[in-house]
Amino acid sequence: MAKQDRYRNRIEILQGTLDLLILETLRWGPQHGYGITQAIRINSGDVLDVETGSLYPALHRLEKQRWISSVWKISENNQRVKTYRLTARGRKQLASERSRWDRLLQAMAGILEPGAKENEA
Amino acid sequence: MSRNKRDQELKEELEGHIRMAARDRMDRGETPADAEANARRELGNAGLVAEVTRETWGLAGLYRFIRDVRYGARVLRRNPVFAFVAVLTLALGIGATTAIFSVVYGVLLRPLPYDKPEQIVSLREMDAKGNQFSFSDANFADVRAQNRSFQAMAEYRYGVEPVSGGAEAKRVSVAYVSRDYFKVFAVHPIIGRVFSNDEETPNGPPAALVSYSFWQDYLGGSNELSSLKLLVAKQAVTVIGVLPTGFHFPQDTQLWLSSETSTKPTSRTAGGWRVVGRIRDGLTLQQASAELSGVAQRIHRQFPEDNYMANAVAMPLREALTDKARPALLILLEISGLLLLVACANVMNLLLAQATARESELAVRSALGASHGRLVRQFLAESLILCLAGGLAGIAIAYAGVHLLLSLAPQNLPRLEDVGVNLPVLLFAFVVSLALAAALGIFTALRAGSGDVQATITQGSTRLSGAHKNRRTGQAIMAAQVAVTLVLLVGAGLLGRSFLRVLSVDPGFRTEQVVTLDLAFSDDNANGARVALIRQILDRLHAIPGVVEAGATSDLPLGTGGYSDGTFALVNPRQLSPQMLRLIDRGPGDPNRELSKDDYKALDDFFTPLFADKAHSGQANYVVASPGYFRALDIPLKRGRFFTETDTADATPVAVVSEALARQTWPDRDPLGQTVEYGNMDGDLRLLTVVGVVGDVRGTSLEQPPTPIIYVNCLQRPQKTGELSLVIRTAGDPNSTLTTARRAIRELDPSVPVTTNTFTRVFSASLATRRFNLLLVGVFAGTALLLAIAGIYGVLAYSVARRTRELGVRIALGANSSNVLGLVLRQAVITAAVGVIAGGVAAYALTRFMQSMVFGVSTSDPLTYSAVAGLLLLVALLAAYIPARRATRIDPMIALRAE
Repeated sequence: MAKQDRYRNRIEILQGTLDLLILETLRWGPQHGYGITQAIRINSGDVLDVETGSLYPALHRLEKQRWISSVWKISENNQRVKTYRLTARGRKQLASERSRWDRLLQAMAGILEPGAKENEA
Repeated sequence: MSRNKRDQELKEELEGHIRMAARDRMDRGETPADAEANARRELGNAGLVAEVTRETWGLAGLYRFIRDVRYGARVLRRNPVFAFVAVLTLALGIGATTAIFSVVYGVLLRPLPYDKPEQIVSLREMDAKGNQFSFSDANFADVRAQNRSFQAMAEYRYGVEPVSGGAEAKRVSVAYVSRDYFKVFAVHPIIGRVFSNDEETPNGPPAALVSYSFWQDYLGGSNELSSLKLLVAKQAVTVIGVLPTGFHFPQDTQLWLSSETSTKPTSRTAGGWRVVGRIRDGLTLQQASAELSGVAQRIHRQFPEDNYMANAVAMPLREALTDKARPALLILLEISGLLLLVACANVMNLLLAQATARESELAVRSALGASHGRLVRQFLAESLILCLAGGLAGIAIAYAGVHLLLSLAPQNLPRLEDVGVNLPVLLFAFVVSLALAAALGIFTALRAGSGDVQATITQGSTRLSGAHKNRRTGQAIMAAQVAVTLVLLVGAGLLGRSFLRVLSVDPGFRTEQVVTLDLAFSDDNANGARVALIRQILDRLHAIPGVVEAGATSDLPLGTGGYSDGTFALVNPRQLSPQMLRLIDRGPGDPNRELSKDDYKALDDFFTPLFADKAHSGQANYVVASPGYFRALDIPLKRGRFFTETDTADATPVAVVSEALARQTWPDRDPLGQTVEYGNMDGDLRLLTVVGVVGDVRGTSLEQPPTPIIYVNCLQRPQKTGELSLVIRTAGDPNSTLTTARRAIRELDPSVPVTTNTFTRVFSASLATRRFNLLLVGVFAGTALLLAIAGIYGVLAYSVARRTRELGVRIALGANSSNVLGLVLRQAVITAAVGVIAGGVAAYALTRFMQSMVFGVSTSDPLTYSAVAGLLLLVALLAAYIPARRATRIDPMIALRAE
C-alpha cells in the first residue's frame, strides 16, 4: 500500500531540531500551526512529518521563551486562527541554533566521510 | 490571561488545525465525513495533546492537582456510602488521637504562660545517693548567694489557711514566697505593687497579693486596695496587689504572703522549701545546672555536718510539674494511635474494594494515555479529600472529646487549664490527616497499579489475578486489624481487672454512711483553746440525731494531703538519766521550761545516735486522732484500748499503733506498754506509751500496702491539727447530717472555715486517675472492636461477592450449604487466629510498658489474654456469619450465567 510506504519513508524528526524547524519556517512569514506542519512536510519533500502532539507543546514553549509571538487573525474562510510570528529574540535564537546545527553537520560529515574532509584540507 | 481563556483558545487552536487539515483532505477529494475523521485521527488524542501543551505553561503541577482533586470529588460523590463510611472512620481515629494529643500538648508540651518560660527551673537538693528533696532555707540562701547563673531565685511553700474578711470564712490556698519570687516568673501586679523591702523583713507589716479570681470573687473586684483587709490565719493582712489572670503558681494559689516576715529554721536539714529560679539570659540549662551543682558541692564541703545536700539539680519547671502525669499520658496517646491504625485499616479495606470495582475505569484511563504516576497522583488526591474531610470531622470530634476529657480528668492532673483545641493541636490533626492521605493514597495506587490493563479491558472486570491478590491483601489487613484490636482490648482488660482488684481491696475502714468535714484552725487557738474547741465540736456532733459516732483526725485516709512520716525511736524511760527525763518532760510552748542552748546540745547528743540506730528506731506515719475516730471509720481494735477522754494534756502521753507497726517493731513482744520517742513531729518530747493496737488502713492509696502508723490523741497532742477532718458515721440522711454539723460548727466559731465532703467522694477521687485511664482505654478498645467487626464483615462480604462464581461452581458440583458455610467461616477464623496470635505477641511486648498502670494483675495475665482472644474469635465468627449465609444462598445457575 502506497500510504504505508510513504509513512515508512519518513524520518523521525531528531530530538531538539523541531524548534529549529519551527523558527526557520516562521522566518518566511507568520504562519498558523497547521501551516507550519504543512510547510515542514512540503519543504522536506514529504520526509519530515511533525506530530501535532509535539508541535503544539513546542509552539507554546517557544512562545513562553518569547522567541515567537502569537496573534489571532481571521482566515480567508472567515475563521479565527492563531498565527505565530518570529520575534527579534527568536531571530537571534534561530541564528545561534543554525550555527550549532551547521557545526553538528560538519562534525557528522567528518565522521561519516573522512576522505572528503582530507581533500578539503 | 486567565487559565480558562487560555484553555479555551488552545481548544480553538486545535479545532482550527483539524478544520484546516480536513479542508485540505476534501480538496484532495475525500468526502467531508472521511476528511473530518481522518484529520482527527491524524491529530491523535486531542485531550492528550492539549494536556502536554498545557504543561508547558508552568504551574502545571498545581492545576493538574486541582483537576485531580475535582475528579476525586466526583468519584467520591458517586459513592456516597463509601465516602461517608471512610470519612467517619477516619474522623473517629483522627478525633480520638487529636483529643488525647490536645491533653498531652496542654499538659506536657505547651510552654508555661510566663515570659521566657524556658528559663524557669525548679531546683532540688540531692543527697549522696541521688535522692532528690526540697531545700532547707540555709542551703537555699547559700546557693542563691553563691551562684552566678540565675538572674533570680526564690523559695516558697504553700498550704491551706482559713481566711476571712471578705465574704464568709473560707479555706484558701496560700503561698509563702521569698524575695524575688515574682521576679522569677516575671509577673507584675495589674493593680497595686509587689512586696516592699519593709514587708520582706522579719516582723515586717503583713501584706498579701491576691489572684485575679480571688480579687473578683472574694473581694468584689474593688479598686480601692487600701480598704481591703483580710484575716489570714487570724492575722490581719493588707492587700497590696492583684496579679494578672491565670497566675496561680504554685498549684491553685489565691493569696501570696511574704515568707520573709517570719524567722526561718536555720538547720540545714529543715527542708520543705520548694525553689524556683530563672536562668540568666544566654545561658543554657546545662550550663546553669553545672554551675549550680558546683555551688551545691562546695556548700556540702563547707558544711558536711547535719546536711543532706551533697548536690543540687535544676529541671525545667514545666517538666517538674508534669513529671508524674507523663508516662500515663504518653501511653494513652500511643493507645489512641493504635485506634487510628485500626481505623486506617478499615479505610484501606474500603479502598481496596473500591479499587477493584474501579479496575475497568482505571484500565480505560491508562489506555487513554494516563501514566502510572498520573494514576498514583489521582489516588493521592482522592485519599487527600477523604483524609482532610476525616480530619475536619475529627477536629469536631476532638472538640467534643476534649470537653469530655476535661470533665472526666482527675483533678490531680496538672495544667488542665492549659488544655484545649488550639493551633498546635489543629496542626497536629492536619499533619496526621496528611500522613494518612499519603499512606492510603500510595497503598491504593500500589494495589491498583499492579493489574494488567489489557486483560482487564478485554475480560471485563472480575476474576483476575489482581482480584485474588486483593483478597489476600484484604485478609492481611484484617489480621493486622484483629492484632491491633487485641492489643487494645488486652490493655483495657488489664486496666479493668486492675480496677476491680483495687475496688476489692479492703482499705481497713468502712465508709458507708460516713460524711466528712474539713476544718482549718488558726494558730492562735492552739493547744488549750483548740482542744476545748475540738471537744465542743465533737460533743455537738454526737448530739445530732442519727449520728452513730463522730471523730476527728489530722489526716483522713485516702485524703489528698498524704500522711506525714518521720523517724521514731524506741526509748525505755529507764535508759534516761534524770537530766534527760527533765529535759523531755515538757510540752511545746511551755513558757516555764524554755530550753537553753546547752539543753538542746544534750538532747541532740543523746537522741541523734538513737535515731540513727536502725535497731532502735523506725519510720512511721504520724496521725492525730480523736477517741471516736476509730469507731466512726470502723477501724477494728486488735489489742488494748482506743483513746479516751481521760488522755488529757496532763495525763501520760499515749499512742495507739497500727498492726503493721506493732508487727514490725515488736515482732516477739507485747507492744502494749512500750514507749517511743516521736517528738520531732510536733515538738512535744514526752515519751509515748502504747496503749492499743488497731487494724491497718490503706492511708495514701488503695494500691499501696498499709503503712505503719502511730496515732496520738488530738485531745492530748493537738499541735498538728491546723487542718482537722471530722468523720461522722450517721444512721440518717448524710446530707442533712452535714448541714446540721456545719451549722453547729459555725455557731461555735464562725471564723473556722468548713468544707463538707462524703467519703464516697473521697474514695471516688482516690480512684479518679484509674477510672479516667480505664474509661479512655475502654472507649478506645471498644471503638477499635466495632471498627474491627466492620472490617471483618467488609472483607468477608467482599470476598464472598468476588467468589460468587467459584462458590456457584462448588454448589453446582454438589457442595451443600454447610460445606460453603464452613469454607467462608474457616477463612474468617484462620485469618482472625493469625491476627490473634500476632496481637498476643505484640500485646505481651507492649503491655509491659503499662506496668505502672496495672494493679494486682500481671501484664501477662493469662485470663485477660484468653478472654480477649476468645472474644475476638467469637466476634470474627459472628461478623463472618452474615456473608457466609449469603454465600450458601448463591444460586449456581445465576452465578455461572453472570459470566
